[in-house]
Amino acid sequence: MASLVPQFMVDIWDSFPPLLQFLITSTSQILIVTVGIILIVAFSTYFERKVIGAMQGRVGPNRVGPMGLLQPFADVIKLLIKEVVIPEKSNRFLFVIAPLLSLIPALATWAVIPLTDTFVIADINAGLLYVLALTSVGVYGVILAGWATNSKYAFLGAMRSAAQIVAYEIAMGFALVGVLMAAGSLNLGDITRAQAGGVSSWFVWPLLPLFVVYFISAVAETNRAPFDVAEGESEIVAGFHVEYSGVAFALFFLAEYANMVLISALTAIFFLGGWASPFEGWTFLGDDNLLRQPSLIWLFAKVCFFMFTLFWLRATFPRYRYDQIMRLGWKVFIPVTIIWIAVEGVMAWLRIGPWQGLAG
Amino acid sequence: MLTNYVPVLIFLGIAAAIGILLLGIGFLVGSGSKDDEKLSPYECGFEPFEDSRMKFDVRYYLVAILFIIFDLEIAFLFPWAVSLDTVGGFGLVAMAIFLAVLVVGFIYEWKKGALEWD
Amino acid sequence: MFHAILFYTFAAVLIGAALGVIFSKNPVHAVMLLVLAFFQSAVLWLLAEAEFLAIVLVLVYVGAVMVLFLFVVMMLDINVERVEGGFTKYAPFGLFIAALMVIELVQIIWFRSSGGARSGGFAANPEGYSNTEALGAVLYTEHVYAFEIAAVILLLAIVAAITLTMRKRPGLKQQNISRQVAVKRDDRVRLVEMDAETEQ
Repeated sequence: MASLVPQFMVDIWDSFPPLLQFLITSTSQILIVTVGIILIVAFSTYFERKVIGAMQGRVGPNRVGPMGLLQPFADVIKLLIKEVVIPEKSNRFLFVIAPLLSLIPALATWAVIPLTDTFVIADINAGLLYVLALTSVGVYGVILAGWATNSKYAFLGAMRSAAQIVAYEIAMGFALVGVLMAAGSLNLGDITRAQAGGVSSWFVWPLLPLFVVYFISAVAETNRAPFDVAEGESEIVAGFHVEYSGVAFALFFLAEYANMVLISALTAIFFLGGWASPFEGWTFLGDDNLLRQPSLIWLFAKVCFFMFTLFWLRATFPRYRYDQIMRLGWKVFIPVTIIWIAVEGVMAWLRIGPWQGLAG
Repeated sequence: MLTNYVPVLIFLGIAAAIGILLLGIGFLVGSGSKDDEKLSPYECGFEPFEDSRMKFDVRYYLVAILFIIFDLEIAFLFPWAVSLDTVGGFGLVAMAIFLAVLVVGFIYEWKKGALEWD
Repeated sequence: MFHAILFYTFAAVLIGAALGVIFSKNPVHAVMLLVLAFFQSAVLWLLAEAEFLAIVLVLVYVGAVMVLFLFVVMMLDINVERVEGGFTKYAPFGLFIAALMVIELVQIIWFRSSGGARSGGFAANPEGYSNTEALGAVLYTEHVYAFEIAAVILLLAIVAAITLTMRKRPGLKQQNISRQVAVKRDDRVRLVEMDAETEQ
């Protein structure tokens, strides 16, 4: 390492006060992670169009670059040079602020996501609470966009989406309480470590109902198909972003996809052991076998799997009707989660499952 | 502990900066030809009948209020779930009573039809 | 030093946002400024090492209470002239409340600084100390009565909200899914035996 960097640069670095060093390192870490997320988002649009194309017997994008791989960049450039129309009756300030308000929580939640065993930008104790708080803030972008536009379609879309997000957030919160009970910590790194020991000790098994509830609620939270009544192009044209164009629309799009990647990562961390290898418990592979080592690649593979599932859902299911969505959120998911929390309480009492090691 | 939160603040700032930067590029680079029709609210080609910010069904308020109550419940559950092994059986019973009271409320909502969406 | 800079910056923004809530004409702007104020106070709580309270403030107030405010403000189109007309009418009462608050605040600060109750800042927490766990350890054991009373208050809130806002609209047609699923052939089809009609 030292040979790669000239000595005078090391000296300059050492002369900085520790606070400045800390600020510089974390800022650069944040920039790397953010650029990584934006790249993943760009390619997940390509991935989505290819996957859905294949499921519908089409080719998908194949013109720009080899196999259409440069398609995302073409889309970005197109969106950047389009006009941003601000309707005359809208509230201009809130109209411009709204996409920012959806983007900021979608990106900033990544601060507490442990990407590898050792790397996390902000190793805070209350990581899970932070995730839940920022998720609940994401609803502002949608509501404000719908209101600021001053168009009936946008307003209807925003109200639908707000009530839906709110209903599923409760189910999500309860499901996370279940995860907490099993892990005993709010720190996402500790939650992952609590699932050490390979595929059989992941939380997906003892918390299977919560896993299902969490993932489906997460789909509803991001307004993805089959819960995309907020956009409902057949009824309310495009919902809350009907009047958004160009880069303002791109920000909403970026926020939606960043949220999808985020919920995939969170589901992987809470229920599938995050960066841990599924073969961790296979001792016959030998101690330093690469397959058993935790790494970013495992997390990435799990994220890809959930992203694929999201696209798969979109290609498979027709859109839910609004009253059905509300019924599922309030009358199915909340009772299921409450019952499972009670079951977990009994399991913890009797010291079975993940609670075996607890001191009496 | 506090130093752990500084990157979070920086991240919030950087996320905002990225959004503002992109919007700025969009406004600078984006082509523009202002036109009265283009700037009018979209309503399938009709003139809009009235201001679109209309009164809404009171049901939305009810959903929002119930959401606040359940959110508080979750806020109460979090410290309990974390300290499950320190509060022991006593805490377990305390939480069981707490949840039972709220399940009564939930059943009340259900029976009154407050969860019905029609 | 760094700590102090952070404190004064966020406190200044907090006061600015709070003033904006009062003075902005647009109620939606006022709600958004209130959201900003909550964020700033959350940061101030973080500076006082109360991470659980800080994040729960964002979760409950910004994520839930303010959403309700936004709903109400957006959907009840508030008549600005009428609201301004009420200003002079309610001003004496408002001033009275303000004076009361100022007296209370001064009193607290006065007693804290003169009596022995003054604390010399917070003791640094040991490594690995979790705010949430510490709270949980006492909330469900020592303060269990307060905790159960909270449950009853929440139950009361549920009942009150439903009594105040539930309206049954007459003439609604609803889909009853369990009845739909439980339908048998006999509920829908009736076989009628009758003699074949013959021409006379």
